[in-house]
Amino acid sequence: METFVQSVVSGILTGSLYAMIGVGLTVVFGVMRIINLAHGDLVMLGMYGAFWAHALWRLDPFVSIVLWVPLMFVGGMLVYRFLLRAIIPGGELNTLLYTAGLSLLIANVALFTWTGDYRTIKLPYAITPLRPFGIAVPIPLAIAFVLAILITLALSVFLSRTDPGRAIRATSQNPEAAALMGIDVGRISMLTFGLGSALAGAAGVLLAPSLYLYPTVGEILIAKCFVIVVLGGLGSVPGAIAGGILLGLVESLGAVYVSVAYKDTIGFVIFLLVLLFRPSGLFGVGKS
Amino acid sequence: MTRAAAVAVVLVLMLAPPLITSNQFFLHLGITVLLWTLLGASWNLLGGFAGQVSFGHATFFGVGAYTTMILYLTGGLAPWYGMVAGGLVAVVVSLPIGLICFRLRGPYFSLSTLAVAEIVRLVAQNWEGLTNGPVGLLITTLPRVAWGAQAINWESKAPFYYIIAALAMASMLATYRLSRARLGAYLLAIREDEEAAESVGIDTVRAKVLTLALSAFFTGLGGGFYGLYFRYVDPDAVFPIALSVEMVFIAVVGGLATVVGPVIGAVFLTTIGEIFRERFLVGHLIFYGLFMMLVIRYLPEGIWGGARRSWARRR
Repeated sequence: METFVQSVVSGILTGSLYAMIGVGLTVVFGVMRIINLAHGDLVMLGMYGAFWAHALWRLDPFVSIVLWVPLMFVGGMLVYRFLLRAIIPGGELNTLLYTAGLSLLIANVALFTWTGDYRTIKLPYAITPLRPFGIAVPIPLAIAFVLAILITLALSVFLSRTDPGRAIRATSQNPEAAALMGIDVGRISMLTFGLGSALAGAAGVLLAPSLYLYPTVGEILIAKCFVIVVLGGLGSVPGAIAGGILLGLVESLGAVYVSVAYKDTIGFVIFLLVLLFRPSGLFGVGKS
Repeated sequence: MTRAAAVAVVLVLMLAPPLITSNQFFLHLGITVLLWTLLGASWNLLGGFAGQVSFGHATFFGVGAYTTMILYLTGGLAPWYGMVAGGLVAVVVSLPIGLICFRLRGPYFSLSTLAVAEIVRLVAQNWEGLTNGPVGLLITTLPRVAWGAQAINWESKAPFYYIIAALAMASMLATYRLSRARLGAYLLAIREDEEAAESVGIDTVRAKVLTLALSAFFTGLGGGFYGLYFRYVDPDAVFPIALSVEMVFIAVVGGLATVVGPVIGAVFLTTIGEIFRERFLVGHLIFYGLFMMLVIRYLPEGIWGGARRSWARRR
């Protein structure tokens, strides 16, 4: 029983971070119909941002988030404006291949400048975990969980209560109708891509103290990310949140009750099953 | 006549290097280029003609490589027969994959192939009884083969060069034949508009599954050659996502649905990549990414496709 509760807790903690990565991808897909294969590499950049802020300036990774999130937001908008905008009219496969190129470029420039060494951030408060009710909760993961919830809440308030947020949702529902209502779809796309990149960067910063860092980590993250957004339905923000938590649970429970070696396989099998039998996601809210 | 001359030029260019040089680096580069030509051309059969962007071709490569290694290590089957067996096993593996993934269209198909490839990689990593897990499989000596009076020298790179040159040419020939065949026309119709293709009576699933099988066969041969040449395989070497992605890049940068495109893509990207790797060790895929972005932006038909168009316009 204790093992079960323990794996549910760690599943939810990791899942909240997966959810954040998934939300970034799904918002971008909703507005622009781009499956951004470089999304995992943006998370990787966030992770390295936290690492270097800690290594060079002795900045706590969770404090460095205030630096990297705005930077990734602006960077994402620039990537959209100067790289992606011209590609989007060429169709979904072209943008898929283009972002595959971008992904390889980012990962290999990182490999070239930072080498392939595995790195970790050593935090003094990471050594002894909290033990509420006998369940081990690593402190960095707990902080990341709280921040992930706050950021996701802020995002939902932004999307539902503010004008740009409403414009993003409108464009996601129907770009032509949104344009007819006077929404500048180009600007909304740029804003959305910035938002998606900022979320990826934030997730990277939050994940950095709990994972090994290496330049090609994005490859694994993006694969997980697809599982998440497809589970929840591509384009749906609540779906991505649920999908993220679900994947976290599947992985941690799978590791205990199925096999550690095959825990990643379970996610992909579910992914295929959902794509084949429930292409609009488990909750039937996405658009495919 | 010009076609015969062109074929002759290509043959000479492809077969001459081992006669001219015995420099190990150049021959290794040549072998690498030809292996990637084979892989780019194999991927191109499905990706270029049918427009089905697979991100999972490493599966067939890895299956081919492991089949060759396992048959040699356990049954003593010589690797050159093992390569063919590897191609055939890759075909068998491709059938269920095709039947599952081809139910999906466009980017969804691409994502599903990626998921399948990751599942296969994880299985290869964990099924230690068959694959020896992450430790991998190693061939220490290759069987002795008589060539006239003496035996083939497996320590030299020349025999490997000729084997992979033959395989690369076979894949190009297959591309050429496909472009002339009825199946090739079906595939172009599918690429342009799948619903329309279906409505004029093309069995699109059959056409795609057949093409995937053909593509898997050549990719599996390439995997078998990899095992024979490097004499060592492990899951990270023959099943990674990066391998699938590199095949896509070579075909797209060279020119989709063309015979020469994958050659150009392989010569261009592999040469840059290998020189970069020789000099800096890591990050050799920087230029793959960069050229992919430039090609999609400015030359959507690829280097060869773009060159051909500008010649046609000048005439």
